[in-house]
Amino acid sequence: MTEFLAAAIRIATPLMFAALGGILSERAGVFAVGLEGMMLAGAFAAVVGTWWSGDAGAGVLLATVAGAAIGLMVATVAVRFRADNMVTGLTANILALGLTSYLLRVLAGGGQPVAIHLTPLAAWPIPGLADLPVLGPLLFVQPPLTYLVVLGCLMLALFLRHTQAGLTLRASGENPEAVFAAGGNPLRVRMLAVIACGAIAGLGGAVLSLQQVGTFTDGMTGGRGYLALASLIVGRWDPWAAAAACLVFGMAEAFELRLQSFGVPVSSYIVHMAPYLLALAVLAGLGRSSKLPAAIGQPLQSD
Amino acid sequence: MMAPVSSLPITAFKGRAFRLQLREGLAGRILLAVLLSILCAAALVALSGHNPVEAFGAMAVGAVGSPHQIGAALNRTTPYLLAGSGVALCFRAGIINIGAEGQIAVGGIGATAAALAFPLDAPFAVAASLLSAAAAGAVWAGFATAIHLGRRVHEVLTTLLLNFVALLLVQQVLAGPLGQFGAGFLQSPELPRAAWLWRMPSFGAHSGFLIAVVAAASLSFVLWRTRFGFALRVAGSSRPAAAYAGFSLPRLTWSVMLLAGALAGLAGGIEVLGVHRRLIEGFSLGFGFKAVTVALLGALEPLAIVPASLFVGLLEAGSLSMQRQVGVPSALVVVIEGLTMLFVLAATVRRA
Repeated sequence: MTEFLAAAIRIATPLMFAALGGILSERAGVFAVGLEGMMLAGAFAAVVGTWWSGDAGAGVLLATVAGAAIGLMVATVAVRFRADNMVTGLTANILALGLTSYLLRVLAGGGQPVAIHLTPLAAWPIPGLADLPVLGPLLFVQPPLTYLVVLGCLMLALFLRHTQAGLTLRASGENPEAVFAAGGNPLRVRMLAVIACGAIAGLGGAVLSLQQVGTFTDGMTGGRGYLALASLIVGRWDPWAAAAACLVFGMAEAFELRLQSFGVPVSSYIVHMAPYLLALAVLAGLGRSSKLPAAIGQPLQSD
Repeated sequence: MMAPVSSLPITAFKGRAFRLQLREGLAGRILLAVLLSILCAAALVALSGHNPVEAFGAMAVGAVGSPHQIGAALNRTTPYLLAGSGVALCFRAGIINIGAEGQIAVGGIGATAAALAFPLDAPFAVAASLLSAAAAGAVWAGFATAIHLGRRVHEVLTTLLLNFVALLLVQQVLAGPLGQFGAGFLQSPELPRAAWLWRMPSFGAHSGFLIAVVAAASLSFVLWRTRFGFALRVAGSSRPAAAYAGFSLPRLTWSVMLLAGALAGLAGGIEVLGVHRRLIEGFSLGFGFKAVTVALLGALEPLAIVPASLFVGLLEAGSLSMQRQVGVPSALVVVIEGLTMLFVLAATVRRA
């Protein structure tokens, strides 16, 4: 049971980072289809940065920079040039896939991808709490980025609900004219939100490559960015609810792995479809009454 | 620096966000975008310590150096041309269908299921399989449309989410009813010979390319010379105007989505019958997403999508030679595709 929950937490952590970033972007009014590319760039930069510098901290930092760079690209084209958000996001994903595969091979100097093997980040037991029975090993002996995602959830929830900047950000997604009328610049808010989204989703990629696998392979995010997008829809654009949705998807996957190991015939493909179908069901159930930010995807023009 | 409040009146575009700025100079802008992305790619090649001219030369030779290579490039072009034309028609109507990926995938399932279930004679087997592929693609697009119109969910979310369900569905049917037992990986048995597409001797190009060109020409006719095409264009430039002119928006959405779904499904069927001759896990990977690139590159005009898809098809077909002969990773092509699309998006969207 403990093993099962630990697996669920492990699967959910990268998704949670991406979902948190996505919430920031979507609440500001820009669809976060580019999460996949931001995660992939982060995963790549984390491994390469650590490999170059020998310091995992530098790798994590580079992951946020790489994710933010993809975010800047999406923001420039989708917000400044007013291109369609989702087509732009899709483009960023294609570009990130191409760039990471290309650079991985260039680093090795030939046609073959460079082989980097790092030791995945070790767990940091929290003194005292780690010795609790059951809960201790499960919750308080985790690698550093897993603690960070919980902190991130808390901070994002507080930011959105209780700060002036959070209010401005939400208003940019609901009623950008009001932000403008109040003296703010919704265009700038959206740009910054998408860049921040990239940095946070980049951390999700770092979790995957640096904390869980220890290497980078082509397209290693394997659709997790889209899964995070589904989670934040299921969680109705609320940080805690989206994190819970990620955890549920993680549990479903962990459960399926366990059932298979006991020889119970369960189709992993059907299990993997569940998040997307659930997201569709939530969207269909909500209809227009949804919590979808009212002005999401609407280009803004200042003249 | 923030501009003073009074000088920054701001407009939010309500309703449909997507509109390509279709006016004179568009072709020039698109060519400029392609040129820019190739320049960026050349810089990346130089960065890797290779000569860009040599790399692009090897790519060109790899794409058109021999009849066989030309055939391979044409085959590669086919799914982009078919799916891209369908996507273009949707975009013309202001409907952002990014579900081609999933529609291609279920098209492959449809073609395989028909070919394996009904062992017909030669011309009928191909026709039945392709029809089944198109029907499967249309049904898949129909799901997205039903949720979009019925529950007022943005079509981009319904089409996007259903892509992943479709890709998993391919794996599911290959692990189950359509799979080849004991193959070691997910694939169907080889399809009966009668269902294979005709291939041109020595070139190896399959007849699907001709189907795609004919389809693009017909779609261009539909777009510019029929009432339906006119309605699409009106709806794309102004929904209220379309409604005022008496066009039913839901009917229009249904028709163009089913049409695009059928085209993408057909693309999947052709890929299965013409290239692999069996259903393979991941056979559709990326075609549907890149069909959006191709549609924009072709300025949403089916006839212009012919050169646009050829551009992508030739790039991809030539990339492996480039990697083999010059040592520049073939992933460079994906970078070029992504950059091209980004520049096209930035250069062609509307200035209201």
